[in-house]
Amino acid sequence: MKLDWVDYLILGVYFAFVLGIGWRLRKSVGSSRDFLTSGRSVPVWITSLAFLAANLGAQEVIGMSASGAKYGIMTAHFYWIGAVPAMLFVGIFMMPFYYGSKARSVPEYLKLRFDEKTRGLNAITFAVMTVFSSGISMYALGLLLHLVLGWSFTASVLFSAAIVLVYTFLGGLTSAIYNEVLQFFLIVLGFTPLAILSIAKAGGWSGIQSRLPPVMTHSWRYMSSASQNPMGVETFGMIFGLGFTLSFGYWCTNFLVVQRAMAAESMSAARRTPLIAAFPKMAMPFIVILPGIAALALAKMGVGYVLPLKGDSYDYDQVFTTLMAQFYPSGMLGVGLTALMASFMSGMAGNVTAFNTVWTYDIYQSYIRKGAPDTHYLMIGRITTVVGTVLSIGAAYVAQRYNNIMDILQLVFGFVNAPLLATFLLGMFWRRSTGHGAFAGMLTGSVVASLTHGLTVAEHKGGWIAPLITLPSTMAQNFWIAIFAFCACFVVTALVSFATKPRPAEELQGLVYGLTKLPEETGVSWYRRPAPVAVLVILVLVVLNVWFR
Amino acid sequence: MLDLRTPAGWFFSILGIILLGLGIFSPGLRASLTTLNVNLYCGIVILAFGGLMLLLASRKRS
Repeated sequence: MKLDWVDYLILGVYFAFVLGIGWRLRKSVGSSRDFLTSGRSVPVWITSLAFLAANLGAQEVIGMSASGAKYGIMTAHFYWIGAVPAMLFVGIFMMPFYYGSKARSVPEYLKLRFDEKTRGLNAITFAVMTVFSSGISMYALGLLLHLVLGWSFTASVLFSAAIVLVYTFLGGLTSAIYNEVLQFFLIVLGFTPLAILSIAKAGGWSGIQSRLPPVMTHSWRYMSSASQNPMGVETFGMIFGLGFTLSFGYWCTNFLVVQRAMAAESMSAARRTPLIAAFPKMAMPFIVILPGIAALALAKMGVGYVLPLKGDSYDYDQVFTTLMAQFYPSGMLGVGLTALMASFMSGMAGNVTAFNTVWTYDIYQSYIRKGAPDTHYLMIGRITTVVGTVLSIGAAYVAQRYNNIMDILQLVFGFVNAPLLATFLLGMFWRRSTGHGAFAGMLTGSVVASLTHGLTVAEHKGGWIAPLITLPSTMAQNFWIAIFAFCACFVVTALVSFATKPRPAEELQGLVYGLTKLPEETGVSWYRRPAPVAVLVILVLVVLNVWFR
Repeated sequence: MLDLRTPAGWFFSILGIILLGLGIFSPGLRASLTTLNVNLYCGIVILAFGGLMLLLASRKRS
């Protein structure tokens, strides 16, 4: 891919605006709350799009189009079975407790609901995880820019990290959220034409269907057994592993996304944040997965498109950029590339802003220095932003040693997040659950996750204790790790809770179902109420799943 | 607080104008797999989006 001066101009204009927004918002930061939680003042359309964009890192765009080319439309399960139902659940059922508890972070909710050690464990594992996610995202970008444009890996990583650092340092969470929305628009406007052009060139959906084996264009038909589809996953693993444990674990407990909803201006806005975000989320497969599938069809048509190679196997991670190079002329190519950089930056800023909040409030203020004046915590928040960025850069170089980005991410989420879901479900909906139970459950869950990884082997991964069971794919392995970790955490939390003393009901007001006055939404039009919006989302979801079955 | 639609509107308007300009004055810029003037059409859409954002922002102010 060769860039022209105009492409660099577009990239330059984008950086100027991103930094400009950070500069304009610097005056809105007067306290640590402003810097780390936006002072709960952001309008709902902005929090919704930021909720989406914070998760929409470069590895999602690149990884999803790669999966599209590798596994076909089954990749859409990550959205239509995975993310969207989980987003509905967090908005409808969990947000009343997160937002209503006045906690400033997810670990802080655990402190209010359970105890100090539960918060500590969650805060520390989360901090480590965000640094790694951010590093992986950075690595993906550096590698891509190196491969596609021949830019230096180190220079690309350092330059983009510096931009993110400047605007989050200046305007804190508000600046990160505002830029995420700008990035979201850019991603949609920059990538949709590519989807349209590549699908049209491949003869539309029917043209694609006629050129590819049917397993690539049906999301449900070949799932009765793992051997029938290239993903190596069957229906139960897909629904319970990806649909329930992994996706609910991520969207309902990960502070990175929940933080965006918690920055909303009211309880109603906080609840509607994930619901509104669900609409564009459902459409994302058309922008990121379908081009990957179209590329596969194009490669069979002899129109001059060939799938990128690495050695003697296909390099699916380059599918998206090779399509861009062959459908976009200079100008639009600059926009596409800028959108790719933007998707990386939104993912990274999400991690950095979640990291600095958890570090400042849940680790520093709780264990290192209590009771200091707020200006001190604001300063720590700012320093942490710098430290977090530097650590992410380090993690990017660690990530360089692994190759499949998505698999590693899923693995990390499996170890840390899947048990967490059980903790939160029991914590929010069962008042009898105790801090000792939650803590024991979380630890057991993570141990069981790593044991499962150690005892199963898939595509030469895992099996470091003993290769007891062979699974058809690493994806299936990740799903099973999540399932076992969730079940272990659930059972252990329940058992230990029965054996330990519960907290008195008056201490749990606003934190657990049955002891919290649920928000009533009356007197506003239906589209401003969570339940009808959720029903609408479910309808569209059913149509999509049936259409692409 | 800053109304996000204002900077977003300006950003996409500028982007749209650059693309539209390319589409009109360098119509020969084509990618290998398509015969369309991609810059022209994308420029129109992006400029329209930028304009819409600016319009929404100004309606709120007045």
